[in-house]
Parts: sequence; structure tokens; C-alpha cells
Amino acid sequence: MLRSAASLLLLALPLLAASGCAAVKPWERDVLARPDMAWEPDSLEAKRNTHIHYSKEASLPGGGAGGGGCGCN
Amino acid sequence: MKNVARRHRRKARLRAARRRAQRRRRESLAALTAGALALPGLAGPAGAEGLSDRIGADYNFSRYSEGSIPASKVAPGSERGRYDIDMHQIRLATPIADRFDLGLDIVHESMSGATPWYVIPGDDGKPVQVMTGATIDDKRTDALLEGKFYMDRALASASGGVSFEKDYFAVNGGLGGQLELNEKNTTLSSGVGFSIDSIDPEDSDEYPLRPNHEKKQTYSVFAGLSQVLRRNIAAQSTLTYQLGHGYLSDPYKQALVAGEPLADSRPGLRHQIAWLSRYRHHFSSVNGSFHANYQFYWDDWKITAHTFELAWYQSLFESFRLIPSVRYYSQGQAGFYAPYYTQARADGLYSSDYRLSPYGAISWRIKAETRFRTWQVDWLATFSWERYLSSGSYAMQKVSTPNPGLVNFDLFSVGLTTRF
Amino acid sequence: MLGRRFRSRRCAAALAISIRLLFGGAASAADAGQLAPEFKAPALDGGKAISLAAYRGKVVYLDFWASWCPPCLTSLPLLEKLRKEFPSDQFQILAVNVDQDVEKARKFLERTQVGYPSATDPNGRIPESYGIETMPTSFLIDRSGVIRYVHHGFRKGDVAPLRERIKQLVSVRKK
Repeated sequence: MLRSAASLLLLALPLLAASGCAAVKPWERDVLARPDMAWEPDSLEAKRNTHIHYSKEASLPGGGAGGGGCGCN
Repeated sequence: MKNVARRHRRKARLRAARRRAQRRRRESLAALTAGALALPGLAGPAGAEGLSDRIGADYNFSRYSEGSIPASKVAPGSERGRYDIDMHQIRLATPIADRFDLGLDIVHESMSGATPWYVIPGDDGKPVQVMTGATIDDKRTDALLEGKFYMDRALASASGGVSFEKDYFAVNGGLGGQLELNEKNTTLSSGVGFSIDSIDPEDSDEYPLRPNHEKKQTYSVFAGLSQVLRRNIAAQSTLTYQLGHGYLSDPYKQALVAGEPLADSRPGLRHQIAWLSRYRHHFSSVNGSFHANYQFYWDDWKITAHTFELAWYQSLFESFRLIPSVRYYSQGQAGFYAPYYTQARADGLYSSDYRLSPYGAISWRIKAETRFRTWQVDWLATFSWERYLSSGSYAMQKVSTPNPGLVNFDLFSVGLTTRF
Repeated sequence: MLGRRFRSRRCAAALAISIRLLFGGAASAADAGQLAPEFKAPALDGGKAISLAAYRGKVVYLDFWASWCPPCLTSLPLLEKLRKEFPSDQFQILAVNVDQDVEKARKFLERTQVGYPSATDPNGRIPESYGIETMPTSFLIDRSGVIRYVHHGFRKGDVAPLRERIKQLVSVRKK
């Protein structure tokens, strides 16, 4: 019960403290830089899905956040 | 004694043989799924990864076709064919100065077919849908311009757009920002947006119940947190609040109230909240990535909804990717919704729209992509098919009277992307 | 039980360091004015091992790059052009590639040829010793082996000011 609640929290609210324990270095972002690790690998598809699903359903498109990825400058 | 030793040796040989077979299987699997990034140039959609020095162009064509409404669900004599939409999308993105980029998104849709109008009790008491007549051709065009400014550990963005149809015009805008913390393992994002819409329904003279000219304003704000959990795992959670104000009803829909069709009437105010969480996990042993999304939705019209999405990104043969995905959606009904009303409501709110009814939807999609390089330029071609089915029986809660207008559709898509 | 308590203490320490890094600004292991940390690593093309000490006496541009980093890929041909503007006995470019999958780096170099060597460090020991905070990061090192300038990221417009800095360092003769 506690374990499932904890894993749910990990999915819903990633904690800053947890990150401090497993910080991925800037030169270790090869996997995160992959296009198939992006939040929305296909931006046209994401916009299209938002438009179609959310005009046929009551809900809202909830995206907008960034982060992850290669972290390059 | 000798037999025991022989048995042990045989077991050891079998174990070694099994290990060799496993290694061979793993190696051939690795060969199958090797090097999806053989073309390192095409790192992702322009602007999604950060400032790119390349110009990007994306095009997509999609055909959306709704399944005909079953005879048992439709009023006798009513149109049974439903809506079809042909959709063209274009995205152009380019870096401007050293730290700026600009993106332009244009969408053009052609729509035709019949849509739900109002619901009446059928012969056996079960509600049946009355459809509008089939429209000949309706077009919509959308344009959105977005600019981004990149700093060392932050990002600022601004967008503005317009949308117009024969009977509809909207202007929208937004501002957003991102902050990278903790060696870029943690990202805070936030943004605000607005949309101002004006609706001038067609044929409002012919249909006295149809409003003439209406306005609607929508304001939204979101805040999100992204966290890199491991070298191959990232998670994100975003909370969005949206306020709708003005004419929020559907001018082309009606509701049967004590035998009389009345105009669809919804409240003039709506508070909506969406909480979306996303998880990304790459498995290098099979060269595949797992995507999971979950969204919880709530609004003050008493609708709550859950959305679950799962996708698997399988890289194959150096330049190919296969992406199966599945989606489950379930929503409750709006407080004032009913298929039809036997008596008037004190608050005067009525809607028979299936989008405010209780139901669930299951959809699955298969997508294929391939990368190639010709004429000194990197290309990505995509093809996908989605089938979406909705029904009262798919909802998480028990639905005693599902809306007869619930829709099924197929969506076919082809796309081409380039970076140069 | 004990393991969990120890982990939470380590997490708290890491969190404290993270907050300090966030508000206290960069805490690079290698800053301008410091001696560039020495390293020796195999060459990406399989040739002779590369050592920073061998470049003492010349002005060196040390560039950390990876095949998965788009700005890094932009910089490679531009740096090659910049390298050719200076005599090779005065100025050299030295790259450290941090790709875990070394093949990807080699494949990229096949397409975009550069005349300067790349060391390979898939375990990330060299970027760790230099305190790299973002990709790409490069260091302009003078003839005495002292870091004179740390450059984060890469944009096309970075070439011109870089050229000026190299000119200035090249003009200083080693005593």
C-alpha cells in the first residue's frame, strides 16, 4: 500500500531531493537527448491529437512543461 | 558418486548452452534494434531540443473519418453518415539571431458531414440521436507564431495566433518561461495564455433558437516540474487551470425539454483543472523507449475525467522506428446534462451533447517512421493509423443511459519532416 | 533500515549542495586562472594516445563534444575553419569526445572531417575533472597551461570573439 503510494508520488511529483541523489551529469545526457525520449517527439502529432481528442471530449490538453533532453547550450 | 558427478557435468553443459543461445538471441536483437541515431543530424523537432542552427519544415496530412451512427441509435429519417475532416498541417522553424528562434504553425481543415443536433426518446424509450443535415463544406484555418529566447539556464517564449472559420474567429496569445536547476536535472516551467473568440452562427435567421453573435474568453495558467531521474529515465508533472467565460454553449445543438427543442444552454462560467504526469524510460538492451502519461481532469460543471496513454518506441534497423500506442479515456457527466428533459430546469441549463455525457473511449494507434538522407538534407517520413471507439460501457463508472451520439473514428496520417 | 537512513542523509547533503550551486553560482573544478588539469586518453581514431602536457608551449582550445549534442556538431566545422587561420606551431585545437557509444562519434567525424584530434572518454573522467556544467564547454589554455577563458555552449556568433582571444594569447611569447 505504502509502496504503491510512493511510486505514484514519484510519477506525479518528482522530488528535488531525489534528484540530488542521482544527478545526471551534463556529459551523460546521451539517452535523454534521443528524440524517442522527448515529452512530445512529434509536435504536429501532439497538436493534432490535442485538437481532435479535446474537441471530442470534455477534458483539457494538459501539457506545456519542458525539461529533460540534452540540456545543451 | 560417478552418477552425481555426471549429472552435475550435464547440468553445467546445458546451462552453458542456454547462456550461448541467450547471448546469440540478445546479439541478434541488438543487431535488429541497433543505432536509431545513425543520422545524428536529425535530433528532433526544431526548437524542441533547444536552439538549433538548422531550419526545419514539417508537413502532415491527416484524414479523420467518423463511423456512421448505427440505425438503432438514430432517429428514423435522420442522416446516418457522420463527420469527415481532411487536415493539413505545416510547421516552419528557424533560428533568428544567436539566441532566438521563431516557429510558424499553420493548420487548414476541410470538414463535411452531419453532426448530432438533439436527442429524442426512441420507440422503446431508449434515447436516439437526431442528426443535422450533411454540411457541404466547411473550412477552418489556424495560424500560430511562436518565438523563443534562450539563456544559459532559462528559456522565455511568447506566442500569438488567429483562427477562423465561416462562423467563427479567435485570437490567442501566450507567454511561457522555463528555469533549469540542479545541473539541469530539474526544470520548472510556467505559462499563461488567453483566447478571445467570437461566434456568428450560420443561418441564425432560419433557426430562431440559434444565437446571432456571441463572444467567449478563455484564460489559462500552468506550472510544471520536470525531473531527470536516471540517465535513461525522466518524469514530469504539470498543473493547468483554465477559466472560460461568456458564451460556452454549442449554437448548433439543441435539447428536448418537455417535448420542446430548446437551444443548448450551458453556464456562462467554467473553471477547469488538468493535472498531467508523464514518464519516459529508455531500455538500451532492446533499444526501445516506454512512454506513459496520466491526466486527471476536473471542472465545476461536475465533470471528472481520467486519461491514460501508453506508447512503446521501438527502434529498428538503424533508421526505422515502430510506435504502437494505446489510450484509455473515461469521463463523468456534467451536472446539468441529460439526453432529454421531461421538465424544465430551474437554472435553465440544458445540453444533450455527448461531450458532456458519461462515457469511456479506447483507442489504439500504430505509427511507423523512417529517416533518410538525400540531397545533403535529413528527412523523416511518418505514417500512422488510429482507431478510436467510445461507449458508455467503457467508462470507469456504471453508465445506465449512454448518449446515442457517441462517436467512433479512424485517423490516417502521413507526414514528412526535414532539417536543413 | 540503516541503509534507508544513510541514503536520506546523503540526499539531504546532495540537496544542500544543489541549493548552494543554484544560488551560489558556478563552482567549476576548472576556472579561468587555474592550471588546466592534465589528462591522457586514447585517440578516437585509434591512433597514438593524447596527452594535454604534449601541447605545452602552444595556445590550446580544448573542446568537449558529443554526437548527441546539436550545438557541438555545429561547432566542429567552424572550429576547423578557425584552426586553419593560425600556424599549427602556435595554436592547436584538442577535442575530448564523451560519447558512450564511440561508433556514433566516429560516424559523425566520417561525415564532417576535422584536422584536429579527438580523445575519447566514454567514462567521463576528463569532463568530471574539468567540472563541465553544460555541453558543449571549451577551455582556452595559454602557453603555460593556464586556463584563460571558459566558454559554455556554442553559437555561430561565438567564433569572432574567440578569434580575438586566440590572437591575443598567441601574441604572448612563453618566457
